[in-house]
This record gives sequence, C-alpha cells and structure tokens, in this order.
Amino acid sequence: MKLSSLLPRLLATAALFVSISSCTEKLDSSGTCPVLCPPIGGDVQNLTLDAVVLDTTVPALAGLGAEPSLLLAARGDTLETRVVIRFDSLPTTFTPAGDTARPISSVDSAYLQLRVDTLSIKGANPVTIEAYDVDTTANDTSTAAIVTLFRPDRFISSQTFVRADLKDTLKYYISNSAVLDKIRNNARFRIGLRATGPGSSQLRINSAEAGLTPALVFRATPDTATKPLTVSPRSKTPVEDAIVASHLTDYTVIVKAPPPAPPGVLAVGGWPPRRVYIRFDIPASIIDSATVVRATLLLNQIPNDALDPTDTVQLLPQVVLAGRVVTDPTKAAQIVGAISIDTLKLKPGDAGSANVELAGAFSLWRSQKPDTLPRAVTLRSVSEGNSPLELRFFSSEDIAALRPRLRISYTSRVPLGLP
Amino acid sequence: MRQSHLAVIVLSTVVLAARGQAQGALSLQGLGYPTGQLSARAEGTGGGAADFDALSLVTPASIAGVGSAALFFQYSPEFRRVTTASGTARTTTARFPLVAGVLPMGQTWTLGLSSSTFLDRSHETSLSREQIVGDTATDTVLVTERNRILGAINDVRLALAWSRTPVFRIGVGAHVFTGSNRILFQQLFPDSAKFLSTSQTGRISYAGFAGSLGIEYHPSRAIGFALSGRKGGDLRAQSGDTAIGSARLPDHYSASVVFEGITGVSISARAAHDAWSSLSSLSSSGIQAFDGWDTGIGLEAGGPRILQRIITVRAGARFRTLPFGLNGQKVSETSFAAGLGLPLTRERAALDFGLQRASRSAGSDIKERGFILSFGLRVSP
Repeated sequence: MKLSSLLPRLLATAALFVSISSCTEKLDSSGTCPVLCPPIGGDVQNLTLDAVVLDTTVPALAGLGAEPSLLLAARGDTLETRVVIRFDSLPTTFTPAGDTARPISSVDSAYLQLRVDTLSIKGANPVTIEAYDVDTTANDTSTAAIVTLFRPDRFISSQTFVRADLKDTLKYYISNSAVLDKIRNNARFRIGLRATGPGSSQLRINSAEAGLTPALVFRATPDTATKPLTVSPRSKTPVEDAIVASHLTDYTVIVKAPPPAPPGVLAVGGWPPRRVYIRFDIPASIIDSATVVRATLLLNQIPNDALDPTDTVQLLPQVVLAGRVVTDPTKAAQIVGAISIDTLKLKPGDAGSANVELAGAFSLWRSQKPDTLPRAVTLRSVSEGNSPLELRFFSSEDIAALRPRLRISYTSRVPLGLP
Repeated sequence: MRQSHLAVIVLSTVVLAARGQAQGALSLQGLGYPTGQLSARAEGTGGGAADFDALSLVTPASIAGVGSAALFFQYSPEFRRVTTASGTARTTTARFPLVAGVLPMGQTWTLGLSSSTFLDRSHETSLSREQIVGDTATDTVLVTERNRILGAINDVRLALAWSRTPVFRIGVGAHVFTGSNRILFQQLFPDSAKFLSTSQTGRISYAGFAGSLGIEYHPSRAIGFALSGRKGGDLRAQSGDTAIGSARLPDHYSASVVFEGITGVSISARAAHDAWSSLSSLSSSGIQAFDGWDTGIGLEAGGPRILQRIITVRAGARFRTLPFGLNGQKVSETSFAAGLGLPLTRERAALDFGLQRASRSAGSDIKERGFILSFGLRVSP
C-alpha cells in the first residue's frame, strides 16, 4: 500500500511542530490550587515589642550653614530668619573686551543672583528684601552678633517684589557704590538679607550646599561689549577650618523661631533641622530563625501647631550604618543608608499613631551581627534643611501606651526538601 | 519574653514541617511521576513489549536482542490538564527520559549502559491567599506563595546479557539511582516599600543502588516469555552534607508474554509489580506510597509502506497504580497508546513515535488527563 508522497511530509512537519512547541516548558499548575497545592508557608506571625533601648533627637547636619537652603522668613511672632552671603574675595581688576586687564574703577548693574524655590514661597503679599553689611570680626558662628548688624547704619539697599516677581532665578539689585567701596578698600563684602513687608512671607533660596550657589554679578564698565563679572561666595574665616568656612559662605540666621521641642520629645525637622535616632534590641531568634516580612515602628505623634500645622512633612526612615564603635548618636545619625524611597506623610499639627515601615532595615540586619552593626535607624524629614516644619513624637520616656514600639511580622523558614 | 518568641518560632517550624508540599497534579505527588523507563516503541504497545525491547530499561536480558550496536535517545513531552473544583491547569513538561547505548561483544555477550528517568518531580505552583501582616484590623494583604521544584531521580544502569541463540537470553544489571531536586520557594508581597518578599532555595540529592536480573525464553517462533526483577537497595536523600532521609528502593518484578504466530504481527502482554511503599519513609509529611501493578497489552504490526519503507504500527493499553497517593487514596493511571516505527537510512537508524493518552484519578472529583508524545531515535553507528 503506497500513500502519496505528500502524507509523510505532512506527518514530518506536524511532528516537528509539536516537538518545537513542547520544548518550552510550562510547569505552572496554579489553576489547581488550593486543592492540589495547599499553603506551604504557614501564617504570618505578628509580634509587637518594646524593643527601643535608646531614642533621642540629634542635630541633622554638620553645623551652621550646612543646610541645602537659605530660609528668608518674616512671619511675625512665629518665625523670622535672615540670610548671610559672604563674598570675602572680590575682584580688583577686569579685562575689557579687546583690551588688557585694568583696575576696577566703577561698578554698574550690581545684583545678587538668587535661586528661589518658588514652590516653597509662603505669603501672597509683596515682600521687601533689605540688604545690610554684616561684616564683623565677631565669632564666625555667633548669629547673635550678626543679628545686631541689621541696623540703619549698615543698610545697603532694598528691593520690593510682588509675588509674580518671585521667579526661580531672582535678581536682587544691590547698591553699586557699596560694591565699589568694598573693591576699592579690598574689604570683605558680607551681605545680610532680611525680609519685611505688609504681611507674612517666607521663601527658600538654594545655598552653595545645594549646588546652586548665589552669585554677585556686576559690570565694571558701562560698555556692554564687556561681559559682566560674576563673583561666587567665599568665606575666608575661620582660617583654621576650611570645612566650616565652606559652610559659612552662605547661611541662615534665626532671629525668632518657635520654641524647640521639650526634652524627652522626639523631633524631626525644624530649623536648624534635627533627626531622631532610635536603637533597638531585637531578639536574635527573630532575625536569625525567622523571616521578617514586615517591620513597623509604631510612633505616637504630638501635635505641633507652632508653624503651618496642616502642611505636609515627608518622614523618611534610614538605617544607621555606623558600627558599634560610633557611640555618639549624633555622629551615628550622620552615617546612614537608605531603606526605602517611600516616605510617610504627616502633618505637624496631627496627633495619634504614625507607622514607619522598617522592613528594609531587616534585610541588612539579617546579614550583619548586632556586634558589628547596631540595630538603629534615624527618622528625618525629606525637606531637612529646606523647611522649618517640625514633627514631634512621644519618646520611650513617656508612658507605656505612648512609647515607640516595634511590630514585627514574620514567617518561619519552610523546611525545603522531601515531600 | 525572648523565650516565648523562640517557642513560637520553633512551634511554627514544627507545624510547617508537617505540611504537605504543593504538587499541583495527581501524578506529581510525593517524589514524582514514574515515567516507566520504556522506550517509545514499548510505550506504543502499552508497555506489553517492554520486556522484549532492547531499548527499554526494565530488564537487562533484552539487550541481547539488540542485533547491532545502537545508541538511543528519547524525547517525551507531556501535555497535561488537571481539573479540580478550584480550576484547571494546563502544563507542558519536556522530558528526556531515556538515553541508552548497547554494544554487542562477540556472538554471545552484550553490554548496555543507559540512563532513564525514574521519578520526575518537576512542577511549579503559585498560590495566593490573604494574610494579616501587621495590624489585625487593617493590614490584610494578598500573599503569593510560589513553589518550583525541578529535577528527578534517575536510574543509571550497566547491564550485561548473554545469549547463544534467540531462544534464551539472560542478563544482569547494576543500577545507580542518582539525581537531585532543586527547590525554590518564594513568598511574594504586593508592596515592596512595606514588605519583604522572601525567597528560599534548597537542593536535595539522591543516591541509591539496586541490582536486576532478567531472562527471556522463546520456546518457539510463535511465543516468548520474559521474567525480570530488580532488587532495591538503600536510597538516601541529602541536603548539602546533611542526610535528611532514607528508604529502600522499590523492588520490581515483571512477567511478559509475546505471541508472534501471525506473520508480521506481534501481540504482547506484561504485568509488573512495584513495591513503591518502601519509599514511604522518604517523606517529611507522611505522604503514603502504595505498592502497585503495572499491566499492559499491545500489538505491533507491519503497516503501510511510505517512501519505500515499511512502517510499523503499534497500539496498546496500560493500567497502573502510581506510587504516591493523594489524601490516602491510590492514584491510578489508564492509558491508551499508539505508535509508529520508521526505519531510516538503510536500517542504520530508526525513528519511533508514540502517543499516549493517560487518564489519572484518585477516587475524587479531580481529573487529570495527559498526552505524552514520545520520539525515540535509534542509531547504529
């Protein structure tokens, strides 16, 4: 019996097709669950511990001027801050277009170029920014000495801005003669800015630490063919500490601020900014023998109505990477790593429970012994150094019901092996 | 307080250890599915011809009938559908259950080295269920448990057979059972900002030994008989350097008859018994293994001529009990098979194709159907 020559080809083609299509395995038989695949992992256990052994509020940054922003605020009895920008080194010569360098004998169109965070502006009223000469031989970090220099005999200039004028790049025109006088006398030019106006106002200017340095711009000749000179802030003092000097090229001076959080209260944010450092004692049996799937720091918030109580502060937990040798919480709180990019949004004026997720820290702690890496976290504001808002929480010094606690959800490891 | 935490964790671990593993199919209970160690040709006859087939690994005597040196390789994908009250699953499992080399040495002796899949445990399941993770009032989340096991226990056999005439053949085999299961278990949570998904991996390796003996007797051209047996030794399971269990490899006995009294037609029947229950101790959750019969009957006949070659056609039926039960009930498998044998390149190569439709049940409303295709390629160098 002979079949046509077409049939074997069809059979071969079909066999080849089936073979190729079956080369890709599809083993997932989830459709039969849970009848044929009962749960393996067991239930998640939830455990709440009084695991906090140390909680304290520490400064967030490395001192005056380390903030990424300069806060210029005039909010009546609540908050008043001023900004100092130091130009300790001014050019004495300039090079006209097509010519050689020559001494500066005139100054024209002098202005400070400021980078303003327009989203953070508060107050709809016009704001007047006054500039003062705040050069002094007083201690570099003495803000009290600086505040006294905002007086009429130190006045340089002022400029009023309506809200629409406050763009992200702000030109604040300053007295040409004041600049020229400093150049001629080879003197330091330290400018203090103060906000005034008919109403409350607050704006945030990026500082050198944020990478958007304020600058002094002026023309040394009326000839527009010659480029204007741009001078970056610089602080020559303190001579013995270049890092502090770097911070002091521009900084914020607090004249008036809400009272700080009382002792025993955990405070996050504010100005100067602060963080909370919390160290835990977690049973090794949980970290070593179980698999933590969620960890939540249970805080109780204290309402802080002092400043913008309904604004939002984004709270960010971070894991402390400082080893056991770093015993100072202030220093340890500077050596941190990210747990998550997710933040907890809270309002300073709210009260009640606030849950901070810490699961990410456990994935690190699982691989590091507590002798090497203390089980510690910090809580900071995302707008640390950018916003004066402050969150407050009860600490472990309060009654048991209000203390910070740690809730851990875990599963036991599944014995993988024989069926 | 710490002691109480530890107690909770230890208790949880003990409870979990007693849980069954997710398998996802009737045929994948316990240590897995026994592929049968049959060649595509033997599968096409419902297993009836297995004890007379040199390329099936159920008896060492049969290799004496190989004729010329041969290499054999088989690919057998299974398309499975499992229906339960909760839903249906369709899977594709690609198996390479058999590779063998047979070498005649002189007129009477034949040596064979082969490897076949003994128990295939490859499967994957995902189960989603609600869990309270955190606050009991508000934090109910959907956790997905993903369980994936890949691997099998394989039977590597070195066989030696003797046959002076086609009337009588005898063979012995030394078996090494080896293989591993790679296990991945994950608990996946929906929000990585809040939860840590977990992942565990494990590997179990198996090692065991067995010996087999087979005889084949053809008192006439019309009829033949075969008997074979495999005596199991210890099978040990290890995870890393730790022994996690041991059992006896199941003893296996079979008897077959073939009738070739009709020209061009071969009718064969086989009955085999496997003492699978000896594997019961190789379980952490008490999954029960049952001794079972494997019976089959089949027919092989010269068929149509395609491209100047005579095609061999095969058909058969098979009934057997699978080793591992479900909820204390035996899982039985009934399959009907058909196949083709196609000689290639002047008898120096042959392609066998088989198709089985298997139905499995365990006395419940769970239905399992599988189509197993088998492609076997024999080459005589």
